[in-house]
Amino acid sequence: MTLFRLECKTHVKTLLIWIIVVGVLTLGLVSLFPSMKSMGLQQIDLKSMPKEMLKAFNLSDMAALATIKGYFGYEFQYVMIATGIFAAMLGTNALSREESEGTITYLYAQPISRALIVSSKMLANALIYSLYWVVSMAVAFLVCLIFKESGASVSDLFKGFSQLTFTGWVMGLTFLSIGFLLSSLLSSSKSATSLSLGLVFLTFILGVVGKLKDTFQALVYFSPVDTALPSAIFRNGIKWNYVWTDLIVLAVSVLLTFWIYRRKDLKA
Amino acid sequence: MPVIELNHISKYFGKFAAVKDLSLKVDEGEFFGFIGPNGAGKSTTMNMILNFIKCSGGSIQLLGQEMPAADVAVKKRIGYVPSDVRFYPQLRVHDLIRYTLDFHHQKEDKKELDRYCELFEVDLKKKFGDLSLGNKKKVAVVCAMIHRPELLILDEPTNGLDPLMHARLFRLMKEKQEQGVTVFLSSHNLKEVEDYCSKVAFIKAGRLMGVEDLTVINKNVKIITLKGEHLPLEQMKAIGAEIIKQGQHEARLTYEKELPVLFKTLSEIAPGLDDVTVDNRDLEEQFMSMYENQEAERI
Repeated sequence: MTLFRLECKTHVKTLLIWIIVVGVLTLGLVSLFPSMKSMGLQQIDLKSMPKEMLKAFNLSDMAALATIKGYFGYEFQYVMIATGIFAAMLGTNALSREESEGTITYLYAQPISRALIVSSKMLANALIYSLYWVVSMAVAFLVCLIFKESGASVSDLFKGFSQLTFTGWVMGLTFLSIGFLLSSLLSSSKSATSLSLGLVFLTFILGVVGKLKDTFQALVYFSPVDTALPSAIFRNGIKWNYVWTDLIVLAVSVLLTFWIYRRKDLKA
Repeated sequence: MPVIELNHISKYFGKFAAVKDLSLKVDEGEFFGFIGPNGAGKSTTMNMILNFIKCSGGSIQLLGQEMPAADVAVKKRIGYVPSDVRFYPQLRVHDLIRYTLDFHHQKEDKKELDRYCELFEVDLKKKFGDLSLGNKKKVAVVCAMIHRPELLILDEPTNGLDPLMHARLFRLMKEKQEQGVTVFLSSHNLKEVEDYCSKVAFIKAGRLMGVEDLTVINKNVKIITLKGEHLPLEQMKAIGAEIIKQGQHEARLTYEKELPVLFKTLSEIAPGLDDVTVDNRDLEEQFMSMYENQEAERI
């Protein structure tokens, strides 16, 4: 519990910064919706583009851009990538930062097991991510309510946001757990940021390739961002096969992190 | 009952043996010094004792319990001061002490904390990251003592401390030892080890060279320095003196036998010499004779 509190305290500032930045970004993007709609965004002719390409970048249904769900779903996919990076960074830094800053000797000298170090840090970072995600989703929902088109159903919007909140939470926790696994292998947090960026972009690109050609479709399973792509969630609801894949990756990463960290030596 | 018991412990990094087949016992209430040159394996041994790193071989018992199985239970009874103090820089000193007490499930004893803060002139309100090296060390000492440990493990504790704080720290440590606390001290400062420790272990190239009882050993060993044109070394060897250093006009010898025989011989040879001195062997002398001109052998 002590380490859990210490870890939460350490991340409060980061949490506030991310919430404010994502909140302002969401407000900025969604506030453009009424003017974009009136400019006839949905009438832009993208027929010359290959269908697969449009599908890969979630632009296959231009008409949907005239609705708040379609518009928000398209715009917010980039925030989802940033969210994945935030979650992965929380994970990759969690254990390795203690080693690179040397605070690990203080922690190891305390009567606390390695398993408790990992579990306290996992719970604290999961809480930080969950708070970030719930607040960001609440802000996004309120902003969408303000700027929605006149005929849009609030209950329909609420259902879509509830599903997105759940899948985005699972996606973030998946990146967080993979980050923890990487962190248990690292002896310094120097490469933590680049690893987090690499992890999210690489898996996202795998998802894009998977959508470009049917034969590569299995690659989408390697992309946690695709579990919570807002446009897909608003259109088709939750894809449980993607959610289960994420949960399996999450469970395996967590178990491996405990196993590796228990055997880890302090770097001299 | 030994508080620290190391049985044939080894640590390999690849093929490199940082510590090899090291066995050691530290009894309850002892002030035990652990010395060796840089890279001898002192920190690796301490890291193994504290379960910061796993042993490649051998076993460790702390406070009568097998490590690492009893790691958490034993750590509740240990205070540790690292050589390089790197605690959470964003926390205030008071918060760090509170977190330390929380980890040990103990409540703050204001009287005791005030005593330590007064003794070491620690400012509780300052952020740890804003402190100087010496002040960080003082905070580490307070954190190591605040939960009333039975075993204190100190790695170069006086590094960065001014002479006044240095003296206060050792006075406090001596006081703790008198209360039954076992102190395990790793240090480069041979004077402080000699002044305060009751026993000392020498380590070199990952191997234990020996353990000496400082309350006995150095009083029995004399260091004789002879200066002059012609040094009567054969005469000295005949009474059992051993040459430890020989120059053209100066020689240093050790002598461990009957003193009347030594002084009789010295009075006979003194007229032919420029100078003769006889001293008790100090730890530095012992350390130098043990380590000088010896190549590290590690495979």
